[in-house]
Amino acid sequence: MSDTAQLASDAGSRDPAVGLRAVRALRMLVERLEALQVENAREQGWSWQEIAHCLEVSRQAVHKKYAGGRGLLRRER
Amino acid sequence: MFERFQGDARQAVIGAQENARRLNHRFIGPEHILLGLLDRPESLAARVLARHGLDHDRAYRAVAGLVPPPGGGLDAEALETIGIDLSAVRERVEAVFGPGALDRGPARGRRTGGHIPFTPRAKKTLELSLREALRLKHGYISDGHVLLGILREGQGVGARVIAGAGIDAETLRQEIAAELG
Repeated sequence: MSDTAQLASDAGSRDPAVGLRAVRALRMLVERLEALQVENAREQGWSWQEIAHCLEVSRQAVHKKYAGGRGLLRRER
Repeated sequence: MFERFQGDARQAVIGAQENARRLNHRFIGPEHILLGLLDRPESLAARVLARHGLDHDRAYRAVAGLVPPPGGGLDAEALETIGIDLSAVRERVEAVFGPGALDRGPARGRRTGGHIPFTPRAKKTLELSLREALRLKHGYISDGHVLLGILREGQGVGARVIAGAGIDAETLRQEIAAELG
């Protein structure tokens, strides 16, 4: 088995380097998905309050993170 | 030169771009050409490599392990260790939001949907494919010649994946030459 296949099959690995890399990768994936979904919600006319409620964060938090963005997200500061 | 590439060889070069995109790589190296070859299990190159236990799936994982995703890129291999199939996630997201939706980083402007350039090693590999065809006195470049090109280039990730699978380059070369006739 190649090193990579071994790594992939080692889901329960105790090697912190493997586990931490997975956490980092997952966080990045979540960030991408969140940005996409927030953008989509704004395009469909959702308020920051509604988006914040779904994400279980404060309105200020979601506004601060995304309102400075591009395109439609930028309109309402 | 590309017009001398035949069916499977041509498809491998085209497939290289698709594999690079799937890996979220912003360049095409010999390793992506190798994956392009392996994408077509009936091709001469893929059949010879399969005899030694190297198929697309295995090579793809090896490439993902050897070539880290670019800064800010999604790490398919790391996600796989916790049971997340990034290609499945990407497929679903793209079905709704369009190609490349998941790969648009927070800092927009860099896209992976467009043209992906060949690295100097990949160009060298294709040149060497031609040279291998000429050496064997073949008037065309088949997928077998492309695999010979990857082996001849020797330094790239493509050759390292083959070596990493425990395949002896010289043995492989002889088998390909025998198949090419």
